[in-house]
Amino acid sequence: MADNASTQLDRRDFLTTAAAATGALVVGFWMPPRANAQIIHPEGAAWAVDPGIPEVNAWVVVAPDDTVTIRIGQTELGQGVWTSNAMMVAEELQCDWGKVRPQYASANRDAREMAPDWTLKVPGRGAQDPYSGGVPEFGERKPDGVNGIPDTLYRRMRTNGVGSVRDGRYYLQLAGAEARERLLLAAAKTWNVPVEQVSSANSVITHGPTGRTTTYGKVAALAAQTPHPHPEAIRIKPPMEWKLMGTEQKNLDVPLKVAGKAEYGIDIFLPGMKWAAVRSCPVYGGNVKSYDFDRIRHEPGVISAIQFPIPDPSLIRGHVFGGGVAVVGETWHQARTALDKMPIEWDVPPEYAARNTANIRADLLASLDEAGKVEVNLGDCDTAFRNAAKIVEATYSVPYLPRARMEPGNATVLVTDNRVDIWLGDQSPQETRRSGSRITGIPETNVYVHLCHLGGGYGRNGNGPQAEQAIYIANKNRGTPIHMLWTREEDFVGTTFRSIGVARLRAALDRDGWPIAMEVRTATDVLAPGQTTGFDVAPRYFAPNYRFSTHSRKFHIPVGTRRGVGAPAQTYYRETFMDELAHAAGKDPYLYRRELIARTNLPYKADMIKALDMAAEMSGWGKPLPKGMARGIALEEHGTQGDGMATISAMVHTVSISRDGKVRVERVDVAHEEGFRLVNPLSVRKQIEGQIVWFFNDAMYQECTVEEGRIAQHNFDQFILSRIRETPPEINIRFFNTGHWMDGMGHDRGTSIQSAIGDAIFQITGKRYRDLPFRNHDLTWS
Amino acid sequence: MAIDLTVNGVKHSVDVAPDTPLLWVIREQLRLTGTKFSCGIAQCGACTVHIDDRPVRSCSIPVSSAAGRNITTIEGLSPDTTHPVQLAWIEHDVPQCGYCQSGMIMAVAALLKRHPKPTDADIDAEVTNACRCSTYHRIRQAIHTAAGNLSSQVGKL
Repeated sequence: MADNASTQLDRRDFLTTAAAATGALVVGFWMPPRANAQIIHPEGAAWAVDPGIPEVNAWVVVAPDDTVTIRIGQTELGQGVWTSNAMMVAEELQCDWGKVRPQYASANRDAREMAPDWTLKVPGRGAQDPYSGGVPEFGERKPDGVNGIPDTLYRRMRTNGVGSVRDGRYYLQLAGAEARERLLLAAAKTWNVPVEQVSSANSVITHGPTGRTTTYGKVAALAAQTPHPHPEAIRIKPPMEWKLMGTEQKNLDVPLKVAGKAEYGIDIFLPGMKWAAVRSCPVYGGNVKSYDFDRIRHEPGVISAIQFPIPDPSLIRGHVFGGGVAVVGETWHQARTALDKMPIEWDVPPEYAARNTANIRADLLASLDEAGKVEVNLGDCDTAFRNAAKIVEATYSVPYLPRARMEPGNATVLVTDNRVDIWLGDQSPQETRRSGSRITGIPETNVYVHLCHLGGGYGRNGNGPQAEQAIYIANKNRGTPIHMLWTREEDFVGTTFRSIGVARLRAALDRDGWPIAMEVRTATDVLAPGQTTGFDVAPRYFAPNYRFSTHSRKFHIPVGTRRGVGAPAQTYYRETFMDELAHAAGKDPYLYRRELIARTNLPYKADMIKALDMAAEMSGWGKPLPKGMARGIALEEHGTQGDGMATISAMVHTVSISRDGKVRVERVDVAHEEGFRLVNPLSVRKQIEGQIVWFFNDAMYQECTVEEGRIAQHNFDQFILSRIRETPPEINIRFFNTGHWMDGMGHDRGTSIQSAIGDAIFQITGKRYRDLPFRNHDLTWS
Repeated sequence: MAIDLTVNGVKHSVDVAPDTPLLWVIREQLRLTGTKFSCGIAQCGACTVHIDDRPVRSCSIPVSSAAGRNITTIEGLSPDTTHPVQLAWIEHDVPQCGYCQSGMIMAVAALLKRHPKPTDADIDAEVTNACRCSTYHRIRQAIHTAAGNLSSQVGKL
């Protein structure tokens, strides 16, 4: 079935914008025959599998020269998924890693084929069972296709929720194992021996009794026609059997990236392609009142102007953006230059135009005094507060934050009478496929999403309407490929934001300074994801009486899943408050945390204590520092409210502040769990290093404010990105084993730097600031 | 109007408005897409190329001012990805998303021409490109490797 489907695929589908490189510098590319090359690709990205080579299964193609193509359902956006997910297949396949090439899986094929049954069952007993996959989030069939994980071939093609390794491990290991078993069956058939007598390593198959050998490439064609009789019986390797997984592997696409040859969405050029520059209403929910195309009609390169409506919110996870106008031109520079000169008047809902940061924040603060939604209520907080020896209360705030990825939003779309082709970097190709269908009326099975690398994602590459705008514009220009590219300024409009937030934390302390009650109230936009992160189910730091409520208002600024989702704000609130309590109690912030975790009955409390102990020890915690320097410690966790998958780390940040208020993080000591075992420890190190600086930015610099209903910052002169000079000169990372499956770590590590800098400011200057970013405050001291 | 450019040693004549930013001529007319667009206001450095061996932010340089001068883009830095900076970038596995790295590598290659053995202070002062994945930790290590700093230090021990 799968084999037939692959030969029926349109040739162009194979020309996905996949780039490949082996570990070595020598990179082999398959170039499409000129006659069939309707789509032009840059040299460095144009390789694909010859459709003449039958696949072993939907994830694995082995060429006669033993080159192994591994199809990856997630998008490479810097997190290393092309390498780590390929490692999971290759581990089981037992192929030559030096001949592995990743390729993006086809989202179109995913619309036309169902997932094989053997990929649907999750074996094992959950997070503590090394023989299982650890219970991926999509363990059950959820056939709704959009909000759940679809039932189609590649299942979860989303790249989100730090799930690529966590969810991928189970079915990608299975895919590699199924392919290996078929290759072994084919060899046994060729030699006419029992399959139990053949084994494989490094792409070489050996017949034990005779020592005869062959290679994967020689039997792959037969394997493609040799179904496994009992695929459901195939087991995947537990961590102690891994040979490739668990080793530090450099990213396969790095040689292309340092040569400027990796292909991003912005790099797509097609024959006859025109460019579109876009301006959408800067106030979300607003629309075009009028525009004057006649004023620019004769500007160089200008072809047309197209008004587009507010993109259908049901296609973009409910977010309401603005309507706008696109200018189509011969080059993007011409289109954009003309657009800048075109008068546009906006129709803005007056209630939105009245919004600004001050009244939004005031609304959220007011919501804290309401009952809110009580998420957790343990014991009797009210009585405990009446009996307190001391009450500590603090109110914190964090701003709206966009992702500000480096590659501005873009998509290239060609709509013909019965087919839609979309080239873009995309974290949700299945949803984009649906948008392609819904906007054009062409069935999803005729929508082809050609995935490109993404120039940064950091949370669903914006959740914005880049694909939907481009599809709309191209649908009005059927037959002409349209490459729509946002300016940086437009990228600040076409994104969702981490919600603005406020929180009020109160604690009742006993005479020794230990909490007898804690109350947490947080407030965000009602649609903000991750509102309960870090406070749900049970307190991570023990308080016998505990109440946690969420509060909200609805604002018109679209809010979505920026890196870390709820964790950055909530970790900042929680860990800063723990520092404040420790100081109020006159206790050491590390030992205070340690004792309060020890008092809980959380299943992973020993791992949390281990993380704190290790980070403290690594940092030389307690050793005197020069004047103007201080250390801050904090716990980073998710999943520790239960006994499922979790990720636990602790960091100590050693901070210096000059008398004129310059903050520098001098070193970071990181104790990070490895679960049972990390798939690619190098990739984890790189993610930790990057996130430390990412959240340094959040702590020190970054905010978006709202003025007259619009986001006031539109480029990197106003929205500041830190540079190498602000990067901690020393980052030390150590891993420790926890004996449970880790949940993923690509988005909420390094959040501790926020509270650590805040506490260092307090220790050094005596001033306690509770509103991020810190650059808004006077950090000088004498 | 026709403007003559020498890019990566190849002479081109392009017919564009003289105030067209060099970046867009490189990308749209010459189809050299390794050089990236990100901010358009010379802030981030993703568009860094060399003009006569000096790093410039091509998004904010009119093509007319580059006429007749030697322009080098990432594609022309080395014929086979063997420039010392590229090799060091591979050794340290620097890139994450990679989008800024063409510009970053060009900026660092220019830095090493001026300062063959840069100190950390030199790096802090002169590498002003932005990387949103924040690969700076490895960038610093890779710069020292490229400069041979690490190997010479190891050699002394």
